[in-house]
Amino acid sequence: MANVNSPKLRRVYVWEQPVRIYHWLNALVILVLIATGFFIADPLTIQSSREAADQFTMGWIRTIHFVASYIFFFNFLFRIYWGFVGNKYANWKQFIPTSRHFFREIWSVFKIDILMLRGKEHLSVGHNALAGFIYFFMFLAFLVQSITGFGLYASMSSGWWFPQLFSWVPAMFGGDIFLRQVHHLTMWFFILFTLFHVYLVFYHDYVEGRGEISSMGGGWKFIEDDVFEKHMELPNEPPKS
Amino acid sequence: MSTRIVVDPVTRIEGHLRIEADIENGKIKDAFSSGTMVRLLEEILRGRDPRDAWAYVGRVCGVCTSVHSLTSVRCVEDALDIVIPPNAEMVRNIMFCAQYMHDHVVHFYHLHAMDWVDVVNALKADPKKTSELAQSISNWPKSSPGYFSDLQKRITKFVESGQLGIFSNGYWGHSAYKLPAEVNLIGLAHYLEALEWQKEIVKVHTIFGGKNPHPNYLVGGMACAISTDDVSGLNAERLAYVGQLLQQGKEFIEQVYIPDLMAIASFYKDWGAIGGGLGNYMSYGDLPWNGYRDTSSYKFPQGAILNKDISKVYDVDLRKEDEVQEFIDNSWYEYKGKGGLHPWKGESKINYTGPKPPFENLDTTKAYSYLKTPRWKGNAMEVGPLARVLVGYARGREEFKMVVDKALKDLNVPVTALFSTLGRTAARGLESTLVAQWGLDFYNQLIDNIKKGDVRMADSSKRNPEKWPAKALGVGHSEAPRGALAHWINIEDEKIANYQLVVPTTWNASPRDGKGQVSAYEAALRDTPIADPKQPVEILRTVHSFDPCLACAVH
Amino acid sequence: MDNPTAQKSPTYLEEFKRKGYSRKDFLKFCTLMAAYLGLENSSVGQVVQALTNKPRLPVIWLHFQECTCCSESFIRSSHPIVADVLLDQISLDYSETLMAASGHQAEEAMKNTMTKYKGEYILCVEGSVPTAADGVYCMIGGKTSLQILEEAAEGAKAIIAWGSCASNGCVQAAKPNPTSATPIHKLLKGKPVIKVPGCPPIGEVMAGVIVHVVTFGRLPELDGLGRPKAFYSKRVHDTCYRRPYYDAGLYVESFDDENARKGYCLYKVGCKGPSTYNACGVTKWNNGVSFPIQSGHGCFGCSEENYWDNGRIYERASAFPGFGIEATADKVGKVALAATGVALAAHAVMTNVRKKKLIKNLEKEGKQSEQELKK
Ligand code: HEM
Ligand code: HEM
Ligand code: NFV
Ligand code: SF4
Ligand code: SF4
Ligand code: F3S
Ligand SMILES: [Mg+2]
Repeated sequence: MANVNSPKLRRVYVWEQPVRIYHWLNALVILVLIATGFFIADPLTIQSSREAADQFTMGWIRTIHFVASYIFFFNFLFRIYWGFVGNKYANWKQFIPTSRHFFREIWSVFKIDILMLRGKEHLSVGHNALAGFIYFFMFLAFLVQSITGFGLYASMSSGWWFPQLFSWVPAMFGGDIFLRQVHHLTMWFFILFTLFHVYLVFYHDYVEGRGEISSMGGGWKFIEDDVFEKHMELPNEPPKS
Repeated sequence: MSTRIVVDPVTRIEGHLRIEADIENGKIKDAFSSGTMVRLLEEILRGRDPRDAWAYVGRVCGVCTSVHSLTSVRCVEDALDIVIPPNAEMVRNIMFCAQYMHDHVVHFYHLHAMDWVDVVNALKADPKKTSELAQSISNWPKSSPGYFSDLQKRITKFVESGQLGIFSNGYWGHSAYKLPAEVNLIGLAHYLEALEWQKEIVKVHTIFGGKNPHPNYLVGGMACAISTDDVSGLNAERLAYVGQLLQQGKEFIEQVYIPDLMAIASFYKDWGAIGGGLGNYMSYGDLPWNGYRDTSSYKFPQGAILNKDISKVYDVDLRKEDEVQEFIDNSWYEYKGKGGLHPWKGESKINYTGPKPPFENLDTTKAYSYLKTPRWKGNAMEVGPLARVLVGYARGREEFKMVVDKALKDLNVPVTALFSTLGRTAARGLESTLVAQWGLDFYNQLIDNIKKGDVRMADSSKRNPEKWPAKALGVGHSEAPRGALAHWINIEDEKIANYQLVVPTTWNASPRDGKGQVSAYEAALRDTPIADPKQPVEILRTVHSFDPCLACAVH
Repeated sequence: MDNPTAQKSPTYLEEFKRKGYSRKDFLKFCTLMAAYLGLENSSVGQVVQALTNKPRLPVIWLHFQECTCCSESFIRSSHPIVADVLLDQISLDYSETLMAASGHQAEEAMKNTMTKYKGEYILCVEGSVPTAADGVYCMIGGKTSLQILEEAAEGAKAIIAWGSCASNGCVQAAKPNPTSATPIHKLLKGKPVIKVPGCPPIGEVMAGVIVHVVTFGRLPELDGLGRPKAFYSKRVHDTCYRRPYYDAGLYVESFDDENARKGYCLYKVGCKGPSTYNACGVTKWNNGVSFPIQSGHGCFGCSEENYWDNGRIYERASAFPGFGIEATADKVGKVALAATGVALAAHAVMTNVRKKKLIKNLEKEGKQSEQELKK
């Protein structure tokens, strides 16, 4: 079996520690927000003979939702900040299309990975352009969910000024009824994203064999030499396929 | 030659009514009644959840608030074959009675009285004589000379301010006002007292339905659970509150409303021969003593009378295709076919063909109203208090006979005086006394039932749409304060496929039909004498005697 | 400007004295009123001042597409009592429900106030305005409601939109809104409109809004949606006495069940209290007797915009416009979820088919490395 070409792999530090911490914190709070959100929308009934005064089930669920909301929101702010100071794989340009070949790469990924047409495999170092573009929408969803969430929260919070920054929101949606609907429907975007995302991470791990899954753990990916060289020419730019 | 006069807006009613009348030789030769506002709720209901319909149709009217909701839940329960628990039936009946008491008193004092009572003339009354008069007709405590003189001063001050508010531009001093100053002052005093009183009786709705106007109803029963041993539902305190409100309501009706009505009527006996109109009367019946399905247990019996012949009462069947039908020959609608439609096949497509506003007159040779024209077996029918009282009387019900005969005797007028403007106004008062008593009777029945241990208030077993047939037809009826009311529903695939309302004021205020038969308002207005066409207070008297509700009529 | 009513009209203090109340009673009334309006003690002086000097405020109250329940609710007010409002505080110069005059005389009364009190009267509007078919779906005195509204708004000092009809179109604006029923703020530009939504609004709230204007000579402070903060700043849910049951997770499952008799939370039978801003939980209805939830029925959001189209009354989950009445957010979500599952499974299978070579190569490569390591 000598004809198998075994490429030389280089280890690349793709995901810096702050990005990894951000990622897992984010994944955790989103799962918590989805779970508690479901309960808020459609509570379980506790057919208990205990008195209301003895329990606070839904109260806790809401509290958890709100605590997670704060973590989620500031974590998100932090990630935006890191988009300006972090390494090139974390840079905001990875998400917002700024050049023609960004779109070209999206198309090529779409052809090869989604439609499974034959073609030249693209290989990227960070995430590919399509993934980046989807994360862009993901970030928009973060924004929508934060604005609608804190908009709902503003009138319930009597604590400090921060939620009050969102008190204009219900008026924009004509009231809480529609606002809650938007908040609720956006949750489904998160659920579907998570499903896609986790699948694709496994997919890449499987078809590329560069340690995709573990990269979000230790930060390292293993990149073929030739791909590595091509990418050196393009600092801060999404790679050509 | 006749001259056309227009009264628009007709005020002190609900909604937007326009009357055009041709005056000839000091009398109305012909009159046209037009409803000029439409919302098309029947179209809005299409495709919605039948269990929600009561809330939508409740908003048809905030004056006879609750009656459409009641009729709607009955209609849906009929379609889905739901029988509500006895307690819910009693609660609905009690709310029904409270509604009548409120609506009739407010109508008499706030919507109708100023047609008979000259407010400005009341300032000339002698408070002492007023007090004597008041005490001679009732033992209502608020009737001292001081009370009347304070009131008179207050109103004098008000009038002198130059800001006449709701009294501005009334027909004060018109020759048609016949009451002595003292009776005018009593009327004015009770106008204000009734304004305070009316906000009390509606609390019965607040307790059972959470608010008034527009209390909550529920398909399957009522939402107000009974909790005899918990602070959270209807318990002894809540029920005692209801009992007290009903009792106080009854006192006001007996000690203020009825004496005032009789006092005023005795000066206007000539109106016992004016404004009779159709002579056809119809009631669907209501206030079941033994469940809605047992029509024989209704306190208000069902039936129809034709040509003032009270020796014969016909049965009415709302399911029969050829009994109740709606026509649109003179209405701003269009049907796919021609002729009248039974409400299960009803259509509500609007087609305005009137003049372009602003306009001076309608073209009454063409369609001239947003009301459809309902007919019973082709006959124009009058509905309302007079119809109910006559049907009760004609069916030989003791309670009706008693109150009617006594009133006729007190006023010293013949039975035929009932077929008139005055008769209509009197019938409203007479049935109020009956209803005030029945409210207490139903209340006692509710208490008895709870005492026996029955605390059920709703049957939820058929609320789940999975248990519904794919198609269902239903009809629900009631006797609203203004008369016979029914809703018809077609349910298909858990949704409303068609929903039609035929409403009391639609019967009474509708335009004439294709055969030229006029409806109740137009019939009653014919031959009414008009002393001054510029101040047609006589038109108001007859129209107000029906207690118009145009939001209901068009919906 | 000279106020023509200033000399003739009795002031509130005069009214009070004439009715036999002392100045002390009057001050007490003012304090109560101030507390009712949510004022600090220091502004009581202001209330006294206002009630002592002002003539009665001219009011024109119009009716368009409506059911008159707002007028009915208004006359139910217990504090202040409506007879006193009518006789002592405002001059209700046009109201189709209550005024003595009809027809031409009624129209003349309105015109008189519009000219005599130009810039001073309050315009109250009950009902929506149909704009379809050039406005013929609501005509009064041969004019369309739109014409009447524009004329009456012209010289108004302020405009109050009573109830959900005037504030958000209410039931006649529900789909398909056949008459294009329109709330009035969409038709009046450049005039402050105070929205007092609710179907109807609570009587005491209505009287409270008027009294606010009379007392302070200025409009109440409004929230982002144009509603007086004094009555619409809290959700029903946040002032609901059943809230402990909500927090505890104790719910009514169906009407008249054991939980209903215990007064548990109505969330699962459709209560919209969590998204509805109104004073029901605090002020309650008809002089504080009860409110919908206290009488066992959920709030259905009657003071919120578009509430007739925002889902069904007895369901919590929100229905989505454009998906038919059936579709709730979760149904849409579940369908999307199923579709995603199928798509991903298909993709996984396809991957193994179409990328067989690539994967084989990777496997080979891996196995070779493994072999080499064994050596
Ligand atoms: C991924 C993020 C989030 C998800 C999936 C999510 C999900 C949900 C869901 C499903 C509901 C129930 C809605 C309904 O009644 O139909 C809800 C309610 C709510 N969420 Fe979120 N949410 C998220 C983020 C946030 C954020 C960032 C905030 C900010 C404070 C927030 C605040 C709220 C509030 C205030 C409610 C209403 C709670 C109540 O009325 O008791 N949520 N959420
Ligand atoms: C088993 C769970 C997960 C694994 C193994 C995983 C792994 C990864 C990996 C490897 C990346 C790099 C992306 C790429 O190369 O295309 C990534 C990025 C990302 N993941 Fe996850 N993920 C998981 C769950 C989640 C969840 C639940 C969320 C949130 C809903 C999430 C949100 C994101 C986001 C927003 C990024 C972009 C990161 C950035 O550049 O800021 N992940 N994830
Ligand atoms: N006509 C009518 Fe109604 C009544 N009574 C209802 O059915 O008034 Ni608004
Ligand atoms: S808001 Fe409601 S109560 Fe007021 S007029 Fe409109 S439908 Fe009637
Ligand atoms: S009954 Fe309604 S308003 Fe009250 S706590 Fe429950 S959900 Fe909230
Ligand atoms: S339905 Fe309306 S009356 Fe109050 S409790 Fe809800 S806002
Ligand atoms: Mg109809």
